[in-house]
Amino acid sequence: MVAERGQRGVIARLSGQTSRLFQRWIGKRIPAAREIRLNHRRIFIVPTRAGLALLVLLVIMLLGAINYQNSLVYALTFLLVSLFWVGLHHTYRNLAGLELRATGSRPVFVGESAPLSLTLAAVQHEHQALALYWPRTQPQRLDVEAGQETTVTLYHPVHQRGWFRPGRLRVETRYPLGWFVAWSLVDLNWQVLVYPKPLVAALPRQGAGGDGDGALLNAEGVDDFQGLRAYQPGDSRRRLDWRAWSRGQGLHSKVFAEPSQNSLWLVLDSAPGQDLEQRLGYLTGWVLELERRGQPYGLQLGSQRLGPALGEAHRDACLKTLALYGVAA
Amino acid sequence: MTAALIPRNSLAWLLTAQVVVLLPHLPRLPFWVAVLWMACALWRVQIQRMRWRYPGSVVKVLALGLIALGVFTTQGSLLGLDAAVMLLLLLFMLKLLEMRNPRDALVVIYLGFFIIATAFLFDQGILLTLYQCLSLLVLVAALVGLQQTPGRNDPIRALRSSGLLLLQALPLMLVLFVLFPRLGPLWAVNTPGKSATIGLAESMAPADIANLARSPELAFRASFEADIPAHSELYWRALTLSHFDGRRWSHSSFASIGMPRPWEPRGEAVRYQVVTRASQQPWVFSLRGASSDDDSLVLTRDFMLQAKRPITQTLAYQATSWPESRLDPHDLDPLQQRIYTALPEQGDPRSRAWAEELRTRYPRDAELVQALLQHFNREPFHYTLRPPTLGRHSNDEFLFDSRRGFCAHYAGAMTFVLRAAGIPARVVAGYQGGEINPRGNYVLVHQFDAHAWVEVWLDGEGWVSVDPTFQVAPERIERGLQDALQGEGSFLEGSLMAPARYRNIGWINNLRLAWDDLNYQWQLRVLGYQAERQLEFLQRWLGTTDWQRVGLVLLIAAALVMLPLVVWSLRPRRRHPDPRRQAWEQLDRKLRRLGLQAVRGEGPRAWQQRLELHLPAQREPLAAFFDEYVRLTYAEDGIPDRDTCAGLRRHLAVLTRALPLRAGKISRPAQHLPGQSTHL
Repeated sequence: MVAERGQRGVIARLSGQTSRLFQRWIGKRIPAAREIRLNHRRIFIVPTRAGLALLVLLVIMLLGAINYQNSLVYALTFLLVSLFWVGLHHTYRNLAGLELRATGSRPVFVGESAPLSLTLAAVQHEHQALALYWPRTQPQRLDVEAGQETTVTLYHPVHQRGWFRPGRLRVETRYPLGWFVAWSLVDLNWQVLVYPKPLVAALPRQGAGGDGDGALLNAEGVDDFQGLRAYQPGDSRRRLDWRAWSRGQGLHSKVFAEPSQNSLWLVLDSAPGQDLEQRLGYLTGWVLELERRGQPYGLQLGSQRLGPALGEAHRDACLKTLALYGVAA
Repeated sequence: MTAALIPRNSLAWLLTAQVVVLLPHLPRLPFWVAVLWMACALWRVQIQRMRWRYPGSVVKVLALGLIALGVFTTQGSLLGLDAAVMLLLLLFMLKLLEMRNPRDALVVIYLGFFIIATAFLFDQGILLTLYQCLSLLVLVAALVGLQQTPGRNDPIRALRSSGLLLLQALPLMLVLFVLFPRLGPLWAVNTPGKSATIGLAESMAPADIANLARSPELAFRASFEADIPAHSELYWRALTLSHFDGRRWSHSSFASIGMPRPWEPRGEAVRYQVVTRASQQPWVFSLRGASSDDDSLVLTRDFMLQAKRPITQTLAYQATSWPESRLDPHDLDPLQQRIYTALPEQGDPRSRAWAEELRTRYPRDAELVQALLQHFNREPFHYTLRPPTLGRHSNDEFLFDSRRGFCAHYAGAMTFVLRAAGIPARVVAGYQGGEINPRGNYVLVHQFDAHAWVEVWLDGEGWVSVDPTFQVAPERIERGLQDALQGEGSFLEGSLMAPARYRNIGWINNLRLAWDDLNYQWQLRVLGYQAERQLEFLQRWLGTTDWQRVGLVLLIAAALVMLPLVVWSLRPRRRHPDPRRQAWEQLDRKLRRLGLQAVRGEGPRAWQQRLELHLPAQREPLAAFFDEYVRLTYAEDGIPDRDTCAGLRRHLAVLTRALPLRAGKISRPAQHLPGQSTHL
């Protein structure tokens, strides 16, 4: 038992080491970039199991041709041998010249899948039957027609808040004959911000460090309308003046006086939960809830203070602070 | 491989491929095989339509048992090639029912490749070969379909790719076919097919050759190095018949076994090449006084070329004959003497009596032979393919009553009489004459050219050929069977469809001869391309048969034929060039002549501004070009095609016309721009 565990340890260590070595090597060979064009330095190609099985079949056929002195069986065998060889070039070419460009992502909460978009451009010729996947994710299969671009969104599950960087994406193809597999491992420098998983709990009665009494506003909280100002990205959608917009007067946000006495301060210590992650989860839940209700809120996390305010920009800033709290940048 | 389903279109190709691959085999197999295949295909279609379910394991085991039983009852065993091929075909059908995922489909496709190969063991004709190219096309299309993105299947595209791949595979295949060393068989294998012997048999009753003469089948083809000898000189010897049992003449291996006695090649040498079909017999065909360097052939005691093993496939060999040679001219040894004068105890009393009579009249052997031939010539003998049936004393009845017969009757009766007179003699079975195909300049010998004549041993002369048929029907020897039977109309009367029957209709005959020539070249150059021919070929073209050097040539030739493909895959031609970039580069070249170059990483707008400083006069066309460029780059999706970029090209043309011709014309702005690099 002990020996076994020891052995396993050694194997794990060794495999860890080889994988580290491999990562270093591939990092040098295919450097991370937002945009990558696949060429001979970046494409690996080996026969598949089906290809090896074909070779076995061909050996048997060749033996038959020799023993029966049959020219046509020779010819058939040689034709398949050369087809195998031609297939190698076709499979390689099916990846070569493909351009991959990361086209962004959006923040997600822990437990969701991060959508990672990329554009594949076939600048030289078509690329058929590509499969894009990470280990343990479902491959996304697609074709890219010649001279066209295709944008796909891949989903990668995330389990940790903070910055998520997916491992190298495997782009592979077995087209046209399935006897070879050509692949590349690309790192498109994706970075996804992962917010803590929102947890639901009753809102705190009052925020410590807040100067209001924490009394809840009614859902609309729009009693002191002050006027309109031009829309800025990040303004809460529920405060847009849709009526003015529909009259063709441009997009405006309604501005309300900050009912500071009604704003709620969210503080880490006021959140329930066993550990930091849970507390951050509750805080996240509250941020979302308050934003939904349209009640201004502030967030105090360690030395950072945000708010009190309302609107998508504020919400996102709060969520980002929560996501990155204590995470080494 | 994920446990995905087989894409629909790949399945369509698979079903098609299966039909195509099985078809050539079906005629050889019992009827129930076709029925079984239909059942399997129907079941599969119903599975696809979600009507029926996959067969359970009980059904599978039952089916396996049943097909094993079926093969056993049909072939008589489960071993051996025919049974193995049949079993393979049946498994190929059943696999249809348990094909669920791509891996199963792959098994079906690989089995298909294998089944194409087995079909070639039974038939190697041109038509089948062409047909199998189609099978291969469909199988590869199924393979491509299997790889296509699910839901984006395009059966026609799969077929196109398949054709393209196979075409690109051809050059390397040809190199391998020609240069890959042809070895001898590694171990003995039994031959496929019901060993139906074709052509001459080991024994001959008088009527047998007559039956052969009704067949329009091809026996063999021969081409000569020099001119083709006259029709009457083409006596193709196949085997000697030296044993008579009162009814049939048959081959005696006892008489022919062993090394030939010394013989003297005389007269002119005739060099020729023969291509025979698989006859399942060891007889090969040669003119008198033959020898061959081919090591699959031996020369027997009775001066016949013979194959060491029964011929189970197309065989091509070279031989040289000295037709005027003297064969074994000095004293026949007693054993041979006994063999070639042996007759049964009883039978044909009249012939024996006549032989005695001749013996007393002609004491010298040669005279007696001459007298016999003259007898056939003078008496009212008749050459016919419809001889009357003969009774117990066949030679007597033929010689003295009916006097109507085919070559076998004449040769058999004459040999009988010679032996009865004590002269060593034997019947030779073979072919006489043949049809000259002017297209390929070769002789085409059919089964109806089968012939039998006599060899008699004369002291000092050795074995001499005489042909009693020539005395009766000289036109048979000079022009062939059709002319000899002109009055009778019995030529190929049983084969209405045989093209050879319609030799007198010009276009049919031309077509037939052209097709035959094609087949002959096919047999000679493709099917007959085995060790011997390969060495010949290498010697002729490479001047060496040393395998090391041939291997080197093989590698170089393979590399050469693959070069286009390698270049094509590593440096893909821009089939869809980006017209924006083309225009940009064109402008770039023009500007470089003026000593203006964009800096690395300089965007179009910055470059435009910098150019305007240098070329203030061309501000407008510059702006027009760059505006269009920027619009195309940032306002269009994907890569614009040539039509979309027509405006850009127009602006470029205007701009290039506006540009000064020499570098001296451009203004040098005073302020030094960052990153500016004007190379002059």
